Amino acid sequence: MEGTIVHTPRPSSISRFLRNYGVAVAVVLLILIGSGISYSITPLRTTAVLAATLRASTPLALGALCGLYGERSGVINIGIEGQMLLSAFTAFLINAYVGNLLLGVLVGVLTGAVMGLFLAFMSVTLRMDQIIGGTVLNILAFGLTGYFYQQGLTTPGKLQPIPLGPLADLPLVGQVLFNNPPITYLTLLLVALSQYVLFFTRWGLRTRAVGEHPRAADTVGINVYFMRYANVIIGGCLAGLAGAYLTLEQVGSFERMMTNGRGFLALAMMIFGKWNPLGAWGASLLIGFTYAFQTRLQFMGTIEIPPQFFGMLPYLLTIIVLAGFVGRARPPAADGVPYEKE
Amino acid sequence: MRRFLTFTTFLLLFSLLLVACGGQGEEPTEAPVVEPTEEAMEPTEEPMEEPTEEPAETDGEASGDCANEEVFCVGLVTDVGQIDDRSFNQSAWEGVQQAEAELGAQVDFVETTNATDYAANIGLFAGESYDTIVTVGFALGPATIEAAAQYPDINFIGVDQFVAPEAPEGWEGDWPPPNLVGLIFPEDVSGFLAGALAGMMTESNTIAAVLGTDLVPPVVAFKEGYENGAEHVNEEVTIISTYHPGGLDVAFTDPGWGADTARQAIDQGADVVFGAGGNTGNGALIEVANHEGLYCIGVDTDQWETVPEAQPCLISSAMKLITPAVFELVQASQSGNFPSGNFLGEAGLAPFHDFEDEIPQEVKDRLEEIRVGLESGEIETGYTPGG
Repeated sequence: MEGTIVHTPRPSSISRFLRNYGVAVAVVLLILIGSGISYSITPLRTTAVLAATLRASTPLALGALCGLYGERSGVINIGIEGQMLLSAFTAFLINAYVGNLLLGVLVGVLTGAVMGLFLAFMSVTLRMDQIIGGTVLNILAFGLTGYFYQQGLTTPGKLQPIPLGPLADLPLVGQVLFNNPPITYLTLLLVALSQYVLFFTRWGLRTRAVGEHPRAADTVGINVYFMRYANVIIGGCLAGLAGAYLTLEQVGSFERMMTNGRGFLALAMMIFGKWNPLGAWGASLLIGFTYAFQTRLQFMGTIEIPPQFFGMLPYLLTIIVLAGFVGRARPPAADGVPYEKE
Repeated sequence: MRRFLTFTTFLLLFSLLLVACGGQGEEPTEAPVVEPTEEAMEPTEEPMEEPTEEPAETDGEASGDCANEEVFCVGLVTDVGQIDDRSFNQSAWEGVQQAEAELGAQVDFVETTNATDYAANIGLFAGESYDTIVTVGFALGPATIEAAAQYPDINFIGVDQFVAPEAPEGWEGDWPPPNLVGLIFPEDVSGFLAGALAGMMTESNTIAAVLGTDLVPPVVAFKEGYENGAEHVNEEVTIISTYHPGGLDVAFTDPGWGADTARQAIDQGADVVFGAGGNTGNGALIEVANHEGLYCIGVDTDQWETVPEAQPCLISSAMKLITPAVFELVQASQSGNFPSGNFLGEAGLAPFHDFEDEIPQEVKDRLEEIRVGLESGEIETGYTPGG
């Protein structure tokens, strides 16, 4: 019965899959072939570029998943930047004072969840304008981290790579995929898990129903408020994880404003990926690749392209996607609309 | 449904705008001024309301009235970033603080949170008749020149602001203005020394530089000096250097990118990394510190003190001595010998600290030789400003 409420893209249909993700598949194939050829010529550099791609994509993919859970259930979250920043800060603080990386990550995730709860309260219970709610989160995070920032605080180390046994010794993929720090592994799992949850479970169906047509969902007995709260909080956890990644895995230190627009970029990745976990992940990888590739180009020093050109690419690509050149990008129908029970 | 598409498009464009306008762009509601100055403004606002010159509350104490001849006031405006950035804003502020301690100056600062507020922040001090205003950073150059024209009685010190030999278009009066001095540093010299050190310490013959942005000339000077210095001592060296792909607003506040890029350079075989770009560079240094047996070189200040996380790898820093130069200029401003045009500060390598024993004596001798050569002009850094 629930199936009649929403139109679900049936992944079993190959033609529909190709129509929806044809470009993505082509890009992935191109990259695979390209890196294969490149690896046979310069193995060291290819590995370096691909590993850097994965690292740069991790916070973007997590942020995009955060936005995705929210919007799929009908709540726009432009506060990802703030959620990431504040979580990065609390994770860093805990690690600095307690000296436990795992606890730091947990507190980071929890911070994200609390901010998610706050956003859900504003947009679901108070039915506030969701853009304003997200902006509140951002300003809150910038203000709090700026105010409580302490100079000279250092953490004892950061999360180190865990080689996955013999897999890490494989050529190319071993170094790129199987020799990473924990949050990077976790991100890969979470992308796959999110895709499964959203499209193959009852929870996912309900989430999407609430995001497409909350009235209809309500009629069949789905608790719209609960679904929205839960999904926004799940999203908050993911943004918190992204924040913890920044301070405890990527850098090992906290600086004010260190998210540097990654939260907004993540939102673009979500749209680029057409509100689809795998798509958003692919988009993040693509952007990560442009960064790694531009670093590589600068390393060579022979081709003179202004570095700022590559800094602009993610935004350019997103506009191209939005303009409809890569098929239609359609947000959930009730995205951004507060639901009022009759 | 189309409405939502339009809406999301708008949203996205909005977020683009936010990102494009800078890391700071997201907080337009926040006042451009931080607490310390607001507090300081209150007592001084009164005399502004009553312009009749009353020698009020001058019981020998320098307590606020900068219009008073007796009170020597120094204000500092930071570039986008914080006063305690462990980098150049902080170094300049320490020079001003030294003036407070040694010259009895009354000092204050404004942190700029948005690049559009430069002129407004300078105006905060100028409006209160501060005697000397220090503006920190290349990006504040135009705003400083404008302020110098508008307030001829105030001396302006522009850190990292090269005063061009020709007057800007539409300029009236003398050029260079007698109340403006650009404090510049030979970054290429300290970059050259850092490069020479890196070129001699590398075992893989691959060294890297993770840099702020080529939009800021001092960063380019550091890079060119570094590369030429390395090639000067080691003909076989491969140098892989990268600029941050973002604009002025994010290039110096992105430690994540710095760390990723340093890691990529390490994966490519680099064993000495030069991190030059505020917090972006600091991210690179900390990343290198997490790999055993590699060296890193800091920038601007002695980063052994400012980035303790980098101590496992930090063999030295390519310094520019901002603090003493700022102090010297403030002192000159007070005594009435204020120079005009450009003032060349000093630059050099920081101490080796714990690596004192690890760096061979012949490397130290060679560095000293190069330093003397650079000073006498025998060796050239190969960097031409503006070229």
